[in-house]
Amino acid sequence: MKTRYTSLLATLFVMAFMYLPIVMLVSQSFNASRYGGRWMGFSLKWYEALFRDSAVINATLNTLIIACVSTLFSTAIGTCAAWVLNRYKQSKLQTVHYGIVYAPLIVPDVLMGISLLLMFVSLKVQLGMFTVILAHITFSVSFVTFTVLARLQDFDFNIIQAAQDLGAGNLRIFVKILLPLLGPGIASGAMMAFTLSMDDFVVTFFVGGPGSTTLPVKVYSMMKHGAPAIINALSVVFMALTFTVAILGQCLTKKKYEQP
Amino acid sequence: MKKYITVCAVALAAIAGALVSGCGPAKPTLNVYMWSDYIDLDLVREFEKQNNCKVVIDIFDSNEFMYSKLKAGGTGYDVILPTSYMARVMFEQNMLEKLDHSKLPNIRFVNQKVLADLAIDKKMEYSVPYMLGYTCVAYNKDKVGKLPESWDVFSNAKYAGKMTMLNDHRETIGAALFFLGKSMNDTNDADLAKAKEILLKWKKNLAKFDNELYKVGIQSGEFLIVQGYSGDLFQVLAESPNLAYMCPKEGISMSCDDWVIPASAKNKELAYKFIDFLCEPKNAAKNMEFTCYSAPIPEARKYVSEENKNHPGMFIPDDLYKRGELIRDLGADNAKFNELWDVVKGN
Repeated sequence: MKTRYTSLLATLFVMAFMYLPIVMLVSQSFNASRYGGRWMGFSLKWYEALFRDSAVINATLNTLIIACVSTLFSTAIGTCAAWVLNRYKQSKLQTVHYGIVYAPLIVPDVLMGISLLLMFVSLKVQLGMFTVILAHITFSVSFVTFTVLARLQDFDFNIIQAAQDLGAGNLRIFVKILLPLLGPGIASGAMMAFTLSMDDFVVTFFVGGPGSTTLPVKVYSMMKHGAPAIINALSVVFMALTFTVAILGQCLTKKKYEQP
Repeated sequence: MKKYITVCAVALAAIAGALVSGCGPAKPTLNVYMWSDYIDLDLVREFEKQNNCKVVIDIFDSNEFMYSKLKAGGTGYDVILPTSYMARVMFEQNMLEKLDHSKLPNIRFVNQKVLADLAIDKKMEYSVPYMLGYTCVAYNKDKVGKLPESWDVFSNAKYAGKMTMLNDHRETIGAALFFLGKSMNDTNDADLAKAKEILLKWKKNLAKFDNELYKVGIQSGEFLIVQGYSGDLFQVLAESPNLAYMCPKEGISMSCDDWVIPASAKNKELAYKFIDFLCEPKNAAKNMEFTCYSAPIPEARKYVSEENKNHPGMFIPDDLYKRGELIRDLGADNAKFNELWDVVKGN
């Protein structure tokens, strides 16, 4: 009985540690005070200000466009890279390839940002959304590759041989066998890429140009010079969206498994 | 597999095409690079309508970051808003356009006193001042009563642990130098050594050096006396009647952000029009009421609402200009300040 209480206590403590800040954030977003040092009454004015603030909305749109496009491409490229790395494991060339793909995981963001910037400048590419997307694809590819590679490592290649024996073509093997089995790995890689792209501040700051301000860049600057209360409201909106997606996702997968 | 790759290639080409065409609209575009929440967006819309153009605003959060990006070759911006000391550095590096005053008729409204007493670029050779702010001290008058106007408040052990100073070496060392009766840009070794002693004494009484949370802390009562930026503090003060502020007699640090046109700007004509538009008194008035900072355009007083006509943040009293001083770039002597700050923070 005693251990049950201690574990309950531990659980409560961890829950408080993780969720109390979120509860604070949500409650502060309804506080009429700009800086939130005192409770000045319930108010929706920060939400109203948020939806009227075209700069924030623009930054959100930019962030979503960049995240979607870079996820699409980094997932495709990363999956191909993982496939090749796994398929030709023994080749010397792939050892080099492995190193190249691995490097962005350990290179500091600042270094990555400034080197990409120098490259774009020396190639005379106009900085903007395009360069930000290219940069995001660059750092996301490695994460996708290693997520998919992990999945490939416990992949049973006998299945493919069996399919070939039974006369399936390459395309058919890809669509009917590889994609469904690797799907979860690819999906989690894609989610990782999406999150990284949404979050990124340093690289985006360096390679961004006119018209490419993203949400992290905007929020960071607002912390210093704007109204923190609008950021609270924005965080709550984003959190609501994330929770909705997570819950929806869970409901959908549940239904799938329940069907015989 | 081949099909898959072709599809990818086509999609890539389509997106690249869309982006390229998206970047070159028929209307001329003005690319502005500035601090966040520092301009009334209604004014921007009005400017767009007047000039049949599109204004794209991008933001940075530190002068140094912005500078390093431009220095590395980042281009595309037509008008930038650095702080005075950084504008000077950029000018010395030939990164800025020399301003043609015939294209800026409205700069005649700029306060000559501000230029003479305070500005680094006194003739507006390469920059036009946009907004001024200063560093002052806010305090909880219910708990500490009325404070004398002096930096000496931080030596009062009675409020130990209830006071904060800014986490910025130029501001804190500057305050100590002011207290000694010197300039905040003083680099004399003997003076700096004395300033260090004073700062160490003050530090014993401080809760922390902080740049952001002091606004919340002074409002909630966690801190009783804080050093902070005028624009922020006046917004806190507007919500909390139990707070007051004072500007130490010995001297205060002021900062000014200036519009500049980078030499690499593509749309210089529109950049001139934009700067000129913001110097128009009725537009300056709108911007002031939006930011709570002070545009150095005295005529603007006519256009602000009655309650703001004597706002100490928007219309800086004349005697404050005399006490005020701008942070300057100290070149090689910056290292002295950094060293001193390391000692103070590490102690």
